[in-house]
Amino acid sequence: MEEKNKIGVYICHCGSNISDYVDVEKVREEVAKIKHVSISKTTMFACADATQNEIVQDIQENDLDAIVVASCSPKLHLDTFKNVAERAGLNPYNYVQINIREQCSWAHSDKPVQATEKAIQLVKSGIARVGYSEALIKTKISAENVVVVIGAGVSGMRSAIELADLGSYVYLIEREYFVGGRVSQWGELFTTNETGKETISRLYNKLIEYKNITLFTGAEIISNTGTVGNFDIQVKIRPRYIKPGCKVDPEKLQRVIDACPVEVPDEFNFNLTTRKAIYKNFESEFPEIPAIDPDHCTRCGECEKLCDDIDLGQKDEFVNIKAGAIIINTGYDPYEPKTGEFGYKEIENVITLPQLKRLIELNGEELIYKNKRIQNIGYIYCVGSRQKDGENKYCSRYCCTSTIYTAIVIKNKFKDIHNFHFDKSIRTYGKLELLYREASENGDIFLQFWDEDPPVVSSNGNGTVVSIKDMLSSGKEIEVDCDLVVLVTGMVPRQDNKIADILKAPIGRDKFFNEIHPKLRPVETVIDGVLISGACQGPKNISESVKSSLSAASKANSLVKKGEIELKPTIAFIDKNACVWCDECVKACPFDAIIKVQSNGKNVAEIIEAKCKGGGMCLPVCPENAINLKGYTDNEMEAMITALAD
Amino acid sequence: MEQQNELSFDTLVIGGGIAGSEAAINLANLNYKVILVEKDLSLGGKMIHLSKVFPTLDCSACITTPKVSETIRHPNITIYTYSEVKNIVKVSEKKFTATLVKKPRYVDEDLCTGCQECEDKCPVVVKDQFQYDLVGRKAVYVPFSIANPRVVNIDIENCILCGLCEKVCPVDAIDFTQEAVDIPLTVKSVIIATGYELFDPTQILRYGFGKFKNVVTAMQMERQLVPTRPYNSVLRPKDGKMPDNIAYILCTGSRDETVGNPICSQICCMYSVKQAQLLLGALPMADVSIYCMDIRAFGKGFCEFYQQAIGMGVEFHKGKVAKITEKENGNLILRYEDIEEGKIKEVEHDLVVLSIGVLPNPDAKLLFNNPVIESDEFNYIKQIDELLCPPETNIEGVYVAGTSSGPMDIPDSILSAGAASACSANYIRN
Repeated sequence: MEEKNKIGVYICHCGSNISDYVDVEKVREEVAKIKHVSISKTTMFACADATQNEIVQDIQENDLDAIVVASCSPKLHLDTFKNVAERAGLNPYNYVQINIREQCSWAHSDKPVQATEKAIQLVKSGIARVGYSEALIKTKISAENVVVVIGAGVSGMRSAIELADLGSYVYLIEREYFVGGRVSQWGELFTTNETGKETISRLYNKLIEYKNITLFTGAEIISNTGTVGNFDIQVKIRPRYIKPGCKVDPEKLQRVIDACPVEVPDEFNFNLTTRKAIYKNFESEFPEIPAIDPDHCTRCGECEKLCDDIDLGQKDEFVNIKAGAIIINTGYDPYEPKTGEFGYKEIENVITLPQLKRLIELNGEELIYKNKRIQNIGYIYCVGSRQKDGENKYCSRYCCTSTIYTAIVIKNKFKDIHNFHFDKSIRTYGKLELLYREASENGDIFLQFWDEDPPVVSSNGNGTVVSIKDMLSSGKEIEVDCDLVVLVTGMVPRQDNKIADILKAPIGRDKFFNEIHPKLRPVETVIDGVLISGACQGPKNISESVKSSLSAASKANSLVKKGEIELKPTIAFIDKNACVWCDECVKACPFDAIIKVQSNGKNVAEIIEAKCKGGGMCLPVCPENAINLKGYTDNEMEAMITALAD
Repeated sequence: MEQQNELSFDTLVIGGGIAGSEAAINLANLNYKVILVEKDLSLGGKMIHLSKVFPTLDCSACITTPKVSETIRHPNITIYTYSEVKNIVKVSEKKFTATLVKKPRYVDEDLCTGCQECEDKCPVVVKDQFQYDLVGRKAVYVPFSIANPRVVNIDIENCILCGLCEKVCPVDAIDFTQEAVDIPLTVKSVIIATGYELFDPTQILRYGFGKFKNVVTAMQMERQLVPTRPYNSVLRPKDGKMPDNIAYILCTGSRDETVGNPICSQICCMYSVKQAQLLLGALPMADVSIYCMDIRAFGKGFCEFYQQAIGMGVEFHKGKVAKITEKENGNLILRYEDIEEGKIKEVEHDLVVLSIGVLPNPDAKLLFNNPVIESDEFNYIKQIDELLCPPETNIEGVYVAGTSSGPMDIPDSILSAGAASACSANYIRN
């Protein structure tokens, strides 16, 4: 390692984010005294283009051998300044970022003198560390131009088509036997007059034209052993019990379905109806071939007697896929109210919004529920969202509009319907406001409750009553007789979310998948090569989901299309002389990046470079101190600590 | 007018705000050659002028400036600032022609170092549009401290042609002979990212904006809260006093048929909630009240952010303010219906912030000659397949990103830009 004797130090005002509390000029004066610091400057915005150019110029003109920037979190700008170093011809790993914003000015805004002292110490420690920094070279690995898209709902199908258009090979993996996700369950969709089924058909018909998309239905990812560029994914495909070449004859299919003796609640209709073990949710559903639900089929063989295309002997199949990137598009589940929540499951005419939407599709001329013609509908909003006491603090975003649109559809489709909305303030944002206006003009009644005083649903013998203390009439107690009470249930993350564990994809406070940064990297996760889009990331309507899925498609494609990916060189390395192969590091590594090899006649550990994330978990457990992390070596860390303790 | 040789690129991105930059970077990363045209003096759009952004409270400049920097430095992106596009014609599939008009800055961009010596000497002072008229600027000026490119520009409308700037410029960059230059342009696809305009609150006479000095717009408040704020504190304009009882009036110019804008602007609730939180930090003794119809905290983390504001002591009143009157001391009386209590009330505040809504940028439509681009009933660019291909317009090969298609917050604008770039790439490829 060469000694650094020309270090440049830049201390950022961050506008006034830092300089309001930290005396940046004093920091500069203090660190300027340090031997080997040949340039020290303060700057308004270190990240601004002009400053970046100035740093490049400084490095080149003064032949600097290392730089330290004291500014914000490295999370925000580590790469920005690494690039600056690189542009100036300096190895980017001879750069250290010190965070004096989050760690000094923001944390200690009440104590500016101490905040300044802390900043001085931190910058000194950064200078000490950069003294031991080593030039590191990025490694490159090959990347498959193959993307796995998980979930064939509207968002996943859209990602798949876009990726295929951009030239990637796509594996589209759907857990259900049919594609379309939630959208196929809905009737007319807001902002268009297309139905969910029609929208999905449009997508599916396009999807099957692509030779570079392979669709698996009834399929789940069960393991992954690879990393970005080279994910190694195992997919389990459950049998459909129908021969692949089956040509579906609707009449014959109906006879087979009629013959099936098994009857189970139909989840497609949110349990409003039942279905058989052999089923198709609707005639134009894709793929065209029906499926037999293995969890409920009794293998009685009645269906096989009627149809040669049925094969109850089919077994699980396993497929291995090599992929460069993965897009998670697994969508959401509707919130399932607790028994007794606004009378749910206790009072018979209390249903959820998804159930109402299916009810509309299942009914003809009149809206009938439990043999009763419906006239007065009460909608109770924010069930399972914006909870005051419950876990779901978030707003589910789509439900206000969805409910209002459903109320409009009902008004148009059925006669003599009265809609009563019991809401917590309506959030029909943007142009969706027009739907709110339309519903109001239709004569819908909007009543609003306080957070702490939700409406009460009760049964009074003759019918169901919703009582509310209404904010819009300054607290009047109002009771409304309702034939049907609709709980406007929000979106929750998928209940079965094993994929999060398999891919180690991060979950946020709201339990949805979490992006790296909502503005800077909105479809990427901290796991390189694993992207997220659609409602699995948080509540979104269709258009918003599709925007994110298109975004994710272009990100995934730009990642894998070059055929190679640069890896960070900040990974662990092993001193094979010191290693005694105790196995501790293998146990500590969450990425399975360490293996046993033979070296000089003994067993030693070795790092698989493509898998190592530089997490550093292996370092402290090594009893021989035989592991070091490039870019974070013991020498660097000890120098920092010494400087901080000075 | 000077003529120049034809330029040819894969994609023309119109607008150098956050959506335009994002779309350009995406396409450039997919290896397409992009020309990014910005009509204003600097890249960064509206976002670069904001303080912190909801709901993460990230410093806006800290997010925007590196994006701008990345855009400028990308080898596949060519940038024209202070330039406009006109006369876009679709000649055939994957062939659009247009005219790029490079407006004169009266400064040689390549020579100017942004030293601002000319600015020091310039005797003319006019209102600074980048500080939303809160302070003044010179007739020769760097638009704002983090502008990019960071070069001066001569505001010829207000320049008195005294020649002082020319005399002091150490690099002889001032050039009063510059003229607009027309450059013919050929591209394969177009992305419209022309952004939005802010509602002009002088249209609502009963709020007294422009007449009552202590009634300001949210954008003016935003400028008082940025790191590079003009007063280094929050002051009310009439007497420079630090306000301690601030009111926000939401839906100023949105959800309001009387001003011709019945739709919701989608961002004002949240930026007001954000400003309220920042104000409680900047003025710890101040009270902040928000007068609203509803609070539309619908995005990821928004509702939690709204709850945080309530927890910090921001007061929310349900009721639309009907009228503002001014007292002699500059304080303001707000008359409104308190919906929760069902009473007409009058309250006094010492500063009123109008949470002005967003309106379409009418320029977007005028850029296209043949075929014309369709817009919706509010004059936003019409999305012809909003559900399955949100960026698509009536012209194949022309895509829309960000607020050109309707009100949108920053995360949504960025996603829509990503979507537009994907569609544009596919159009060129297939």
